[in-house]
Amino acid sequence: MNSRAKLCRFEEAVVAAARSGEWSPELKTHRDGCLSCAELTLVVAALAADAEELAAMDAPPPDPAPIWLRARLATRERDYHRATRTIVWVQRAAIAVALAIGIAFAPGLWQLVSGAFSGLDLSISAPNLPRAAGSPLLVLVVSLVVLGLLAVFELTVAQED
Amino acid sequence: MIPMALSLPRTRATHMQGQALTMDETAFRHLYQRTARPLRAYLIRSCGDLALADDLLQETYLRMLRSSFEGENDDHRKYYLYRIATNLLRDHFRRRRLESDVVPERDESPGHDEAVHLRSDVGGAMAELALHDRQMLWLAYVEGASHQEIARALGLRAASIRSMLFRARQRLAKQLQARGLRPEVEVS
Repeated sequence: MNSRAKLCRFEEAVVAAARSGEWSPELKTHRDGCLSCAELTLVVAALAADAEELAAMDAPPPDPAPIWLRARLATRERDYHRATRTIVWVQRAAIAVALAIGIAFAPGLWQLVSGAFSGLDLSISAPNLPRAAGSPLLVLVVSLVVLGLLAVFELTVAQED
Repeated sequence: MIPMALSLPRTRATHMQGQALTMDETAFRHLYQRTARPLRAYLIRSCGDLALADDLLQETYLRMLRSSFEGENDDHRKYYLYRIATNLLRDHFRRRRLESDVVPERDESPGHDEAVHLRSDVGGAMAELALHDRQMLWLAYVEGASHQEIARALGLRAASIRSMLFRARQRLAKQLQARGLRPEVEVS
């Protein structure tokens, strides 16, 4: 079936008239005698009535406030990511450099650390230190506890900010 | 009244991304008030599900705001919204098709709201048509979109819109007639 052959040259005028409801006598006469335009009138008028009915539905559309808020949040998040992008790249580069240095010097560092620990006697007090300083083991434990507390404090403050 | 041509934006998504909101809240509320109901009507008739239509409506405005599209005037912005909504509908049905592996000629999902489709004879008749037919008919005869803009919104060739619209119209007229409406009877 060749549908193109059935298209009517009055189509645009009929659509306009069906939507507005303003028919000239000539157009009305044509519509009554043209099956295609009669169908078109039915479809356009039906859709217009349906659109009007749907637009006047009792249930209101969703509140626009959350949409606006979500858009603003998304914009802020995007701005934040853009602002911190450079910092993140610098951090990644620093970690990569540190890892490279660590790998390069690992054997030497291991020898240094193992040598230091092998010469350490944790069971006795250091003879040259004042008595109040206690044993090196006590100093190490107290230092770790203080550092741990500081780290917890820093994390708490950072989260509150 | 001659149907006016839709002036859809020529801006590219990549160009628009990463800009601040160019519209203030008052302007947004004004646009929403003016366009939300007709746009929701389009979405309801396209997907047949009120809840889904409301979700897509919100997503449409959100995308418009995030795109920072300014538009030349209210009509420009309005038709940009229709284009986003059409793309969202297409994406929704594409996802559903991938999930179910069935081509949805009609929306027969569990969330499908019969009350919306059967709200009127027209709704019932529209529910019998394919998604493209519903969108095409609505854009052409309710929103007054030109063939070129319908093609752009639906991702079809402009040259084929005329005949496709003609066939969609015939199918809808047939459905309306089956519900007791005749060409000589004027609705509204």
